[in-house]
Amino acid sequence: MDNERRQFLKQACWTLLGGGLMVSGALSIPGRAHASGGRQHLYVFLVDTNRCIGCGKCVAACRKENNVPQESYRTWIERYAIGNDGTVHVDSPHGGEHGFKPLPNAADIARSFFVPKLCNHCKQPNCVQVCPVGATYVSKEGFVLVDERQCVGCGYCIQACPYGARYMHAVRHTADKCTWCYHRVMKGMQPACVLVCPVGARMFGRIDDQRSPLYAVMKQEKLQVLKPETGNEPMVHYRGLDKEVR
Amino acid sequence: MKHAAHILRLVVVLILVGVIFFAVRSIMVPEDFGTQGSYSYGYFRAASEQEQKELVPVFRGSEKCKGCHDAQYNTWAQGKHYSVACETCHGSWHAHNNNTKDAMIKDNSPDACMLCHASVAGRPATFPQIDSIDDHIARKGGDPKEGQRCSACHNPHNPL
Ligand code: HEC
Ligand code: HEC
Ligand code: HEC
Ligand code: HEC
Repeated sequence: MDNERRQFLKQACWTLLGGGLMVSGALSIPGRAHASGGRQHLYVFLVDTNRCIGCGKCVAACRKENNVPQESYRTWIERYAIGNDGTVHVDSPHGGEHGFKPLPNAADIARSFFVPKLCNHCKQPNCVQVCPVGATYVSKEGFVLVDERQCVGCGYCIQACPYGARYMHAVRHTADKCTWCYHRVMKGMQPACVLVCPVGARMFGRIDDQRSPLYAVMKQEKLQVLKPETGNEPMVHYRGLDKEVR
Repeated sequence: MKHAAHILRLVVVLILVGVIFFAVRSIMVPEDFGTQGSYSYGYFRAASEQEQKELVPVFRGSEKCKGCHDAQYNTWAQGKHYSVACETCHGSWHAHNNNTKDAMIKDNSPDACMLCHASVAGRPATFPQIDSIDDHIARKGGDPKEGQRCSACHNPHNPL
């Protein structure tokens, strides 16, 4: 009787040990990963809110360039109108794609301006951290991208983004967002929205490229980012950002 | 040793589960997955980067139009619309790829100009804007009733 119990416990121990080894073995396999993977964050996007005229050409061009489904936006324009009494009114009809209409109560408005928005390609992106299947990542060049073949469409990243830059692709049912036109930039072109902007309100380039117009602006101007308190370290910089902009 | 058979079965089942786990994993997880760096940001399918690089650009920039539309290009390059790319008004080069002329947008309605030049709350005061088409045309000596074509007085490629 005693002997049987001892035998049982002994074998149970071995079994547990074996199972434990197997599980820990399985867990340790992706341990190939090494530190930074040589990532760099040298590309910067600069938005000049003093220049934007809200024509919406950027939104339209982005849709065409990236085949963005209707009612989804990789970039969009918001109009802020701050009243004499301090109230803040924000509108963005169709993401600004077809321009903006005059506001009815012009006399009550203290100041108003356009703020183009897009993915911030953060240095510490929340959206990448929460992805359970490794379908969104930071490329070697510092672009935050989505691998539509891996994405299972759970939508965690859409919730995690503090800027609302992501959406669910209506056709593919995967997460989608601005890529800073990765495919164009890697061929030496400007992102489509930058190309079509008539007033130079959007600039894009490498911080270390001294020939780029962006270099001078980065050096001389006072710049801000959106929601710095979230710790995502966004790489879209804004010039002339009003305190009311969220 | 009454329970030996039970334990054996348990072990066999566990081994089987392990084998199935690794088999499924090796099929489901791409070869190049997780080879690019840290867990938090570099844990992805490496080929995805290359796939995205290979997407075809749709907009090509104004230099592309130069060779075939020299006249428009040269007029444009000397005018106030130089900061406005050809494709901003005409749509992407991609549609034009086979040089089919109907594919390009050629909108000379006042609305096309007013998209940028209407005076709308939010527009910087330094940008040239007009409050009302009728007023503008009347003030510049035209007759608004004859139609509101901006191109009667402004060449879209060199508006002043
Ligand atoms: C390979 C030569 C070529 C290039 C490059 C080219 N085009 Fe054209 N384009 C043509 C031809 C040919 C026509 C047809 C002209 C015709 O039938 O009168 C045309 C027609 C047009 C028309 C319509 C003209 C009309 O009268 O309806 C527009 C607008 C236009 N092109 C704009 C552009 C823009 C903008 C670009 C640059 C992105 C561009 N084209 C680049 C060859 C070219
Ligand atoms: C501000 C908007 C705007 C820009 C920028 C612009 N175009 Fe046009 N373009 C027009 C309009 C509007 C017409 C139609 C004119 C008409 O029908 O009278 C036109 C007509 C044309 C035509 C047809 C021939 C003609 O003169 O009617 C060609 C070709 C053309 N554009 C090429 C170009 C090229 C090349 C560029 C860039 C160098 C360019 N356009 C930039 C608005 C623009
Ligand atoms: C995509 C936006 C856009 C469209 C569409 C557009 N323009 Fe312009 N226009 C501009 C910009 C940008 C300037 C340069 C403003 C500056 O110099 O500050 C300009 C300048 C002008 C000027 C010179 C104003 C000045 O005092 O310097 C005139 C006139 C003009 N446009 C007329 C037109 C007409 C007519 C059309 C329609 C065919 C048109 N624009 C369509 C963006 C646009
Ligand atoms: C009857 C001729 C005529 C017509 C039609 C006309 N304009 Fe003008 N426009 C002018 C003249 C003249 C100027 C002044 C140029 C200067 O200051 O040197 C001007 C100036 C402008 C300016 C510069 C801002 C300003 O007020 O000085 C803009 C923008 C403009 N026009 C847009 C348009 C648009 C958009 C249309 C079509 C809805 C249009 N124009 C139709 C003659 C005309």
